This record gives sequence, C-alpha cells and structure tokens, in this order.
Amino acid sequence: MNQQDSANIDPTATLSGQAVTAAPTEAPDAPLRQDPAHTEHLHAKSITENALEGKTMIKIEDLSFSYDKGKTNTLRNISLDIPEKQVTAFIGPSGCGKSTLIRCLNRMNDLVETSCITSGNIKIMGQDIHAKEVSAIELRKQVGMVFQKYNPFPKSIYDNVAYGLRIQGIKKKSVLDEAVERSLKNAALWDEVKDRLKDSALGLSGGQQQRLCIARTIAVRPKVILMDEPCSALDPIATAKVEELMLELRKDFTIVIVTHSMQQASRISDRTAFFYLGELIEYGSTTHIFTNPTAKQTEDYISGRFG
Amino acid sequence: MGSSNNPFSKQRNSEHIKETLVKLTFIVFTYLIIFAALGIFGKIIYEGAPVLWQKGWSFFTKKPQTLFVNQVEKGEGIEIPAQNFDGLLANNPDADKWLTNVTEFEKTTEFIKFDLLSGSRIGSGYLGELESLNADVYVLYTERDTDAAVGFQLQAEKKISMQQSDYVALTKADHKLLPAETPERTVNLSDFELTIAAGEYPIGKDAHDALVPTELVFQMRQTFADDEPDKINLTLIPHEQTITVSADIYYAAFDEEERGTLPVKSEQEVPVSRTFRDFTLAAGSYITKPEALSILGKYGIQHQHDPLKGSIVLNKNITGLTVPKDFWGILTQANPSLKTANQSTVTADTAYIRFDISKDTEILLDTEDRESIASANEATGKFVTTSEQTHSYSGGGVIGPIIGTGLLVIICMLVALFTGIAASIFLNEYARAGGFVKTIRLAMLNLAGVPSIVFGLFGLGLFVILAPCVTSTPKTSSAMMVPLVKLGSKPELRVCEQQHIYICEKSNLSSSELTTIATANGSKLVYDGWIWLSLQGWGTSILAGGFTLAMMVLPVIITSCEESLSAVPMGFREASLALGASKWQSIRTAVLPYAFPGILTASVLGITRVAGETAPIMFTAAVAEKSELPWEGLNSTGFDKFLDFLQSSAQALPYHIYTVAGRIPQSEYTQPMQYGSVLVFMLIVMSFAAISIWLRARVRNKIKW
Repeated sequence: MNQQDSANIDPTATLSGQAVTAAPTEAPDAPLRQDPAHTEHLHAKSITENALEGKTMIKIEDLSFSYDKGKTNTLRNISLDIPEKQVTAFIGPSGCGKSTLIRCLNRMNDLVETSCITSGNIKIMGQDIHAKEVSAIELRKQVGMVFQKYNPFPKSIYDNVAYGLRIQGIKKKSVLDEAVERSLKNAALWDEVKDRLKDSALGLSGGQQQRLCIARTIAVRPKVILMDEPCSALDPIATAKVEELMLELRKDFTIVIVTHSMQQASRISDRTAFFYLGELIEYGSTTHIFTNPTAKQTEDYISGRFG
Repeated sequence: MGSSNNPFSKQRNSEHIKETLVKLTFIVFTYLIIFAALGIFGKIIYEGAPVLWQKGWSFFTKKPQTLFVNQVEKGEGIEIPAQNFDGLLANNPDADKWLTNVTEFEKTTEFIKFDLLSGSRIGSGYLGELESLNADVYVLYTERDTDAAVGFQLQAEKKISMQQSDYVALTKADHKLLPAETPERTVNLSDFELTIAAGEYPIGKDAHDALVPTELVFQMRQTFADDEPDKINLTLIPHEQTITVSADIYYAAFDEEERGTLPVKSEQEVPVSRTFRDFTLAAGSYITKPEALSILGKYGIQHQHDPLKGSIVLNKNITGLTVPKDFWGILTQANPSLKTANQSTVTADTAYIRFDISKDTEILLDTEDRESIASANEATGKFVTTSEQTHSYSGGGVIGPIIGTGLLVIICMLVALFTGIAASIFLNEYARAGGFVKTIRLAMLNLAGVPSIVFGLFGLGLFVILAPCVTSTPKTSSAMMVPLVKLGSKPELRVCEQQHIYICEKSNLSSSELTTIATANGSKLVYDGWIWLSLQGWGTSILAGGFTLAMMVLPVIITSCEESLSAVPMGFREASLALGASKWQSIRTAVLPYAFPGILTASVLGITRVAGETAPIMFTAAVAEKSELPWEGLNSTGFDKFLDFLQSSAQALPYHIYTVAGRIPQSEYTQPMQYGSVLVFMLIVMSFAAISIWLRARVRNKIKW
C-alpha cells in the first residue's frame, strides 16, 4: 500500500523505489528523467551480464515486408537479433514500421490478407516462423502479445485470465485457479483484484486493465511477450506500474516492446532498435543508443530534433 | 425604447416569418404521422377490443367456423350442452332480451364400452366411425375378404321398385334376401336417340355426371371439383355421334335449360318397355353379400359398408372402445360377425342447460353450437328455425391461424438463422475482400428488394413442386427420381387405399416406366420396393412456407448479423488470436457472444416481419379453410408422423385476415371476426417487438464494452 500511495504522489517514485530494491546502493531520490547517467547505471549490470552475451531468442534476417502484395515494402532489409530474457525496445517516429515488425513476430499480420514477406526470414528459437509446417496458433501460444489499447474481454477478471487456457481445452478448475492466481501475481494485480475475481474486467481502471491483459498473456506461459505501445493509453501512474511489471517479467520472459516514449525505452529496455522509414537505422545496447548513437538520425531523434 | 438598445432584439421581417412557416410545416407533417398511427390503431382497438371482450378466451381457443344466423321461433324447454351454451352467449350479446327460464341439469348419456376381438368383420365406414369416436384408435389391416357378409338395417319397411336387370343380379347374389312373391310390372317408357354435333361446349356438373355412363365420347377441359357444384366447364365432342339414352339421362343432360349448350342435331323418341319388380323389405336387420348390398344401395338402402370390397377382417384386438348406445345398436346389427368382449354400459353425465326463448328472434351460432343444439332438440322439435343464413369464417376464433403462423415463424427462423448467421460469419470473418464478396453483397441487396409475391412464386416453384424428398412412395409427378436403397416392407393396405398408392410388383422398372404405369392406373403415388430420392416437392406445407419465408428474410438477417459482428471491436479478435486461439475458437468465444444482442434483435425483427407476410405463404403454405390443426388427423407414427406434420398445410393469421376481409361477402356479421383477428395479430406482433426490446436491454446490460 505504501508503494501505491507514494506512486500517487510522484510517478517516478515507484521506479526509484524499484531502483532501491534492485540496487540499494543507488541514490533513491535521484531524478530519473533528467539523468541519463542514472539510467545507464540502472542497466549497467544487466547489460554487462546479459545483453552482450545473451542467447539469441529471435533472429531476423534481411526481412522485407509488404502490406500490398509486394508493391511497396513497409519494412526493408531488417536484420536484428533479439536476446533471451531481456527487454528490447523498438523506437522511431510514427509510420517507421516498428509496429509492423513486432506484429510480424507472432504473425498477426496474417490477418491482413494482402500482406507478405518479400525477402528474408524470422527465426524464433531457431525455427523459421513462416515455414509451411509452422502453425500460427502454436506460434502465438509461444509468442504472446499485449496491445496498445487494453482490450480485456467483457467477462469476469477470472474468465479473462483463464481464457487462453480454456481455449487450449483445460477445464479442470484447480489448474485454472492456480494459473489465474499465479498470472495475476506475476502481473502484480493479485492484491488489487483477489476479492473480486468474478467482477467484470471492465470495472477496473485503465492501468489495471492493461496489467490484466498482461496477466492474460502470461497465463499461457509464452516464451516471448510482444508489447505494442502498452502504455500509450495510460496515465503516468499506471505507466509506472506497467513498467515496473515489465522489469519484473524480464526475469522469465523475452520482452519486445514498441514505444513512442524514449524515456520509457531508456528506463526499461536492455537493447534499443531505432527505425526510420521502414529501415533499421541503429541497434545496440540502450546505454549506447541513448548516450553515444552512431547514426546522425538516431541522435536527432533521441534529442528531439524530429519525430 | 429598451428594445432599441438591445443588440439581439428579434427581427420581425420576412426572414423571420419564413423561418416560422418552415418550422410549422415540419411540425404539421410530423403530427400527421402520429395522427395516422393513432387513427389506425384507434380504429382497430375500438372495433376489435369489444370482440375480444365479448368472446373472451374462446376467441383464442376456437377454430375459425362458419357463423349461422338463424331466425328462431319462440319456444320452451330448449336444451343445449352447457359448453355450447357459453358459445351461444358469446355470440349473442343481446341474449338477455329473449332468454328466460335458464336452468341447469344433468343429462345422462349411455355409452357402451367394449373390446373388439381379432377376427371381427367390420365395414369400412363403421370402422371409420369407431375411429372418429375414439381419438387414439387407428386400425391398420392386412386382410380383406370380399365374400364376407355385410349387414344393413332398415328402420321402417321399404318399398322398392327394381329394374329387371338389377333384380336378376340381386337374386343371383342373394336370393334369400328377397320375398318369395315379387310381382312383375311392365311399363312403357321412351328412350331418346340423339345426334350430337362435334365441337367445344360448356356443360355443368349434373350434365357431366349423367353423360359419363352413356356411349358418348367426350373430353373435359377441366375436372369438376367437389366443392364447386355450380361451375361450368368446357367439354370437347371430337366428332358427330348418335347415341340412345334413357329418359332420366335425357332430362339431366339435354333438358330445356341445357339444350342450348350441347347441340342436338336431331332427336327421336324411341318407345321401349321396361320390366320392374316390386317388393317390400320389412324393417329390421339384414345380412347379405356385398354385391347384393351394392345393388340395393342404388335403391336407397343406406349403409356404411364398402360394397366393392366387403368387410375388413381385423387381425388384432382393440381394447377400450367407447361408443354411444344408439351407435352400438347400429354397429352390431350392421356387422353381424363382430366379435366383442368385456362389454359394459358406462353412463356419463353431461351438464345441459334448458332455456326458453320468449319471442321470435335472431340467434347467431357457431357451427359446433348449431350442430349440438339441433341434435339435442331433434327429438322434441322445440327448436324451430324459420330461416338460416351462413357467413363463412365469421364464427369461432383464431386458434388455427395463430398456430399456423407460429409454426411458420419457427421453421422460418430455424432455417434463416442457421443460414444467415453462417453466411454473415463467413462474409464478415473469413471471406477476403474482393469480387466474390462484392457479388454476394450485390446479390443480397437485390434479394432484399424483391417483392414478396415473387418470393411466393419462387417458393412454389422450388419448394412446393421441386424440392428433393426421400420416400418409398414417390409422386408420379416427380421431376426426377433416383433409386437409393431396396426396401422390403410394403406399405399397409389401408394406407395404400387412402393415399391411392399404386403397388408395382416388378422392382426393376425405370422411373419413367414406373410413373407411366402408375398414372395409367389413376394413382398419384407409386411403390415398387425401392427408396427413391425424388424431386417432387414438399407440397403446400408449413415446411415449404417456412423455407420460402426464410429465403425472403435472409438478406435482412445477414445484413443485421454482419452489422452486429463488425460492431465487435477488432481488439477482441486480436487478443484471442494472440493467445493462441484458432480462427473459429476466437469467433466462437470472443466475437459471437458479443454480437449476440444484435443478432437477437435482428431475429426478433425478422420474426415480426415474416409473421406479417401474406404473399410468400399464399402459394406455399397457407390454406383458407382447414378444420384440423397441422398435427391433427395424421395417421402415421413416430418420425413419419413428424414428416407428415411438416408436410401439412396450415391456416395463417395474415392470410386469414385477407380471407375474412377480402374473399367472403362482407356484412355486419363478418366484421367482428375481421377486427378481432387484426387486433389479435397486432397484439402478437407488438408483444414480439416488446420482447425484443426487453431482451436486448437485458442482454445489453450484461454484455458491454
């Protein structure tokens, strides 16, 4: 409760609190946003330990993608390795193709009939996901997705979280109960909703609904969670909670997040990829991108000169 | 002048007047709609409510009947069963002016309860009567013996003057029947020799019936229906013919009134002498052979045997039959070899009302009530009717039409919802945008604009006369027949007789040979041991009507279902798919439940629309007059009964309204039925609309996003 109260006062306080628990030696009240050095510090450990030597989870090779049967390529020759159990952020101005790319990763673009991969491939856990023998359904069980606009079903909180398991044919109540509790706890929502699991999910606040969507996604135990601007419809307090949750989840899941907020990328991601007009401009450790970008476009974008 | 200081003061110029006028016009037109609606509803309620009030529940529970308007003389001690007395009161609101001394009493009727044993011989007419008196009895029979004895009864002695030829035949058939002394009598009569010119001439039914046994060769353009005795049809005389006819035929076919129609070129009286035998049959019961009875039938001996086929031999026991005592007497006398057991007399007390009619008056009676009051007072002769007028469909109630409409709507909605929801799911969720979908949508738009009478004709062509049927007794009019499986069991003899099924013993004939043989034998159905897939249609039936209505309402259902499907946020589908659901799983669990309120509303609106349609059911399902409800009077059992039920025609409310309002002569006596039916119809439709609003609100409250 304490943590929640402080969150109400200062959106950054939660993260500071997080920083305290994660690295107690850091100054807890350091103003996070204004100090990139602090961000760098926050992730220094993870980058040195994980990012640079992390096992590759998703391997994108020379990917070109088109929404109109190959007439124009929305994504052009993108090659990118996404490491396991880290947060990888895609940033870039609107229309640069970052959402398209993330939707390629669990083949959500299959819903657009005229879309197609014009060159290259995507390998997740070593398997080309566009291969004929790959089932999109099985892929999506392993690669979950959280959407920009929180979209819980108009059902009870319990039914929302249990949905993914139920469509897999799991009906046993004890299994479902256990999975719902675990997922809600993982999504840091359990304490807030444990007494009203049977209430409609739509009665929750926006931030809670988005965390419920995350809980719903992790209930089916995917390997990868894709997040398409998960905080864009949330206020700063709710955003802070979701970000906190993501830092927690990266212990167990590989997370790919698309964000418009560079601060968010810098706060939560281990690696950052910058896209511009369908091309990958720069990709590297978040510290590197935000402090010492190689490409001029990256520098212009993160310093706010365009975008 | 405060107003001059007001910068926003009202301008009284032409612009302002124009504004006001335009506004007024709009108001007037809007109110016009309200007045029109009020006028229509007001008139129907004003005229219809008293009818419902006066007739009460009986309006909903009685079948449509003919109304009898009787001029009745005053009389005392008239008896009527209590239930019919209620009908009498409902039909005659002014009864208190002439109805006096109303007393209730119990009348005891005696019934005989008995079992009919295997081996009994019974005439087909008597068997039919037994079945009509005992609702759940239907006797199939497998054996028939034309030599079996048949019986008849004479209440009084009967004088018969029989032609010599018949007399000879009768003595040959059963000489014991006749008295020893039968004086011969010779009468001089005239035959007529006529020459008739070739050509095409209109003749009436009586003339036609008289000409059939003569040697005249002629061909009718149309057949005479039994219910249209006054119809005139064209007959074709192919060539000039000369025939000799007896006097009775001459007077029936060529008498003064008919002479103009059948041109007689020349006629000549030929004197003949005929011999008659006169004898008298005393009152009592007689047992004789079917052939003898058949001859006696021509001379006015009444019986219920089928003299062509003789008695029916029962091959199983029928238990628990109950018949009135007087019918028991007739039954046992007319069927001498009836084996009965466990015979007992049962008495039943029926509540009767005895009343006086204080003055000569006019009484309105439904068919049922009229029959029961007439039979109850037959013996006493106290109920004297001086004149009687009938008004079709103006008595009784509307239960038949209500049930018919209900069944049509149920069948229609089952078909339309399954098809419509499937189609809209395909169009909205599966189909790729492109030419195909565009074509379908264009077709649907066109379909929605097709006039309903065209759907009626379409239904007639497709469902009534061409739809596929799997049957062992295909119609000879079938468009195409494909043999499926060879079946062993023959249809039961009695069923064959009732439905005129032609039994073909050879089972290797082609479908065209089969239908030709059956048609030549005058049958409409044929059986040869195979089960056929036959394109013969479902006939005028609730099934055909339901399908026709479904075709009509399908565009509406598909359009509104699609709207409700596309109103479900894309996010639900994406979320579901992203959780590893298959396409159908995500539609079933994350789309359909939330489109449900919209689909529900669409279907209820569809119901109100199909319930009100007249044109599509005119040719496919609805009949003006049907005394039985669709499931009544079916002699089959189990699944066959269900199929027969689906293939039976029905009355329907909108068609009934059309009948009572447009097809019968209008009078003050027909009006209550018209307004009553319309009011009932409106109440039903409006209650459906109310249910839809309520349901929608309920479901919408539960499911929203």
